[in-house]
Amino acid sequence: MLFMFFMFFMVKLFDTDLTMFCCLVLDVPAPPGALADVARACSPTVETIGDQVAVFDAAGLERVIGPPGAIGQAVSRLAADRGLTVRVAVAKTAAAAALLAHARSGLTVGGDIQDVACGGLRDLFPRHDPRELDEVLDTFQGWGLRTCADVARLPRAGVAARLGALGVALHQAASGEDVRPLVPIRESRRFIERLELEWPIEGLEPLAFVLARLCEPLAADLERADRGAVEIATRLTLVSRDIHARVLHLPAPMRDARVLRTLIALDLESHPPAAGIDAIEIELGVVPGRITQGSLLTHALPTPEALTSLMARLGALVGEARVGAPALVASHDARAIGMARFAPTDALDGSSGVWPARSSPDAGAGAGLRRFGLPLAARVVTERGAPIRVVPAARGLAAGRVVDRAGPWRSSGRWWAFDHTRWDRDEWDVELAHGARLRLSRDRQAGRWEIAGAFD
Amino acid sequence: MPSEAVFRLESLLDARKLGRTVARHQAEPAQVVPVGIPALDVALGGGWRRGEVSEIVGPRSSGRTSVVALTLASATARGGVVGLVDTIDRFDPASAVAAGVDLDRVLWIRGPAITVEHARAAVVDRAVHQGVRALDLVVRAGGFTVVVFDAADIPRKFLGALPFATWLRVAHANAGQPTVCLLAGDAPMGRSPRGATVELEAAGRWTGASPQSRRLAGLDIRARVRAAGHASDVTFTFEQPSP
Repeated sequence: MLFMFFMFFMVKLFDTDLTMFCCLVLDVPAPPGALADVARACSPTVETIGDQVAVFDAAGLERVIGPPGAIGQAVSRLAADRGLTVRVAVAKTAAAAALLAHARSGLTVGGDIQDVACGGLRDLFPRHDPRELDEVLDTFQGWGLRTCADVARLPRAGVAARLGALGVALHQAASGEDVRPLVPIRESRRFIERLELEWPIEGLEPLAFVLARLCEPLAADLERADRGAVEIATRLTLVSRDIHARVLHLPAPMRDARVLRTLIALDLESHPPAAGIDAIEIELGVVPGRITQGSLLTHALPTPEALTSLMARLGALVGEARVGAPALVASHDARAIGMARFAPTDALDGSSGVWPARSSPDAGAGAGLRRFGLPLAARVVTERGAPIRVVPAARGLAAGRVVDRAGPWRSSGRWWAFDHTRWDRDEWDVELAHGARLRLSRDRQAGRWEIAGAFD
Repeated sequence: MPSEAVFRLESLLDARKLGRTVARHQAEPAQVVPVGIPALDVALGGGWRRGEVSEIVGPRSSGRTSVVALTLASATARGGVVGLVDTIDRFDPASAVAAGVDLDRVLWIRGPAITVEHARAAVVDRAVHQGVRALDLVVRAGGFTVVVFDAADIPRKFLGALPFATWLRVAHANAGQPTVCLLAGDAPMGRSPRGATVELEAAGRWTGASPQSRRLAGLDIRARVRAAGHASDVTFTFEQPSP
């Protein structure tokens, strides 16, 4: 008996208020997440309903701040400091706090919900079918019930028999009881690592070791959270107090530490910082992990990780603009070529995968043309306008007599432009006595001859 | 077909239980990538061997680019992706499309656009080293059906100046991969032991009786195929589509 009294005394001593909830409702629209941030600053257990309403568990705050009135005032002050105009209500249950916050402006502490209009119960069921909700509330109105106290006075068994589970839930809320426990939102997690160096780093080679030290825990975090990185933000604090920031966008989610480190290193090689490095910070933008399954029916392609790393290395070697997939350009200029992003898919595009056998050795593709990126100047001897001898302006290509020729094929375009994109030329295909087969081009305006390519 | 001397040597080795030291001519169908020319495919034993380094060599206008284009067309038609290290930027996409290449499945690495016929030696040398480095990266990345190192028109002295271990390293990186590595040039560079060297010569095929209708219709190509244990000669023709 003495022991039970002692335990009751200890509970009463350390638990002045077993439950306490605080509800915030925006009076004036605010940026998304602003209200949740205020609630999260007060308690780790926060539930939000859109961006307009936040309810949090305030149990335990009285030991830090004081009685419920002081808690309410502190929350109101915090919201005002962040530029938010809110209604705040503190009550023993989340349902009561939400009803009071919706019904009354300003700060409400421990008020009675009895005279809150029963239409306010709608705010406690935002995810419920509005038609069903309207039907029950219309029924309450039809019965002459105006306030939560009127609804609470009804026998619950009778409400259950006439209005079902939704009616019971509304009756519970009108009685100030919580229909369900709070469902807290999970705070979004940042994948970020930062390292302050004891001595500044000059050059990128020692940076590789530091990058490994940062990327490995990030990769382990990604693995644990089943996330993949789609964006890498690298921020280098330089000795000059400047911030050298780079952002890489990845084509597919990745979490391999070595690949991440390689991509960052290659990017910094192409865009080096202007001064020594004092601190390094790497933050990853993540998405849920990628589920992949190989297929027996399609050809294996380079993995996105291998391809991204390869493209980065090739870009650093020859320049990013000189790596990609070739593309034809819709132009009348036969010399126009373009490049597209190299992004192969595993779709065969309807191909049966079987190469059709050629009907005869003669049925085939055209002879390949080797295009001279910089056409080679040549002196061409002509007879009645047709070339009969070609003397290239380079030692590496022998001069020769023309033994056969075809042409001219005339083309012109972009007459309105006054740059190199304008063209007006005649082209000939010629075979020289020593076997070379060339494509000659004559600029009709300037009269210059050049070798545009060779058939091979 | 293997020569008589080779056949007798193989029989002798088989009799002495040393037959495994001689490479067999016919490769398993799944281990080759066909060119698309029946005569050449038969001579190669079905096509280019995967996991090996092979060569296409010959003088200017001998058909090297055409054979490369057909190989790329064959690979991309089967859903594979191919890499083309264009050392001095001479690839013509329009010709490749005419040959049936799916450009979306080609990784084109363009070297500097230089006129190698009269460029400075240092510039050509740098382009060659850059191309070899790019070839190494693509081969090591894996996942490509065919990777071509296009060094045609580059004078022999520049390729000959590369360390011999260059091609050993490429062959080692490619070994065991389902990738055909092709070296296209004026002269043999460094095929792997089980690869093939295809030496080309060509004559132009001209059609049209009048000067107005005259055109270069294609190339009549004679190829000499050298592979481990055999050599053979084949002829075939490429036709140029009408302009």
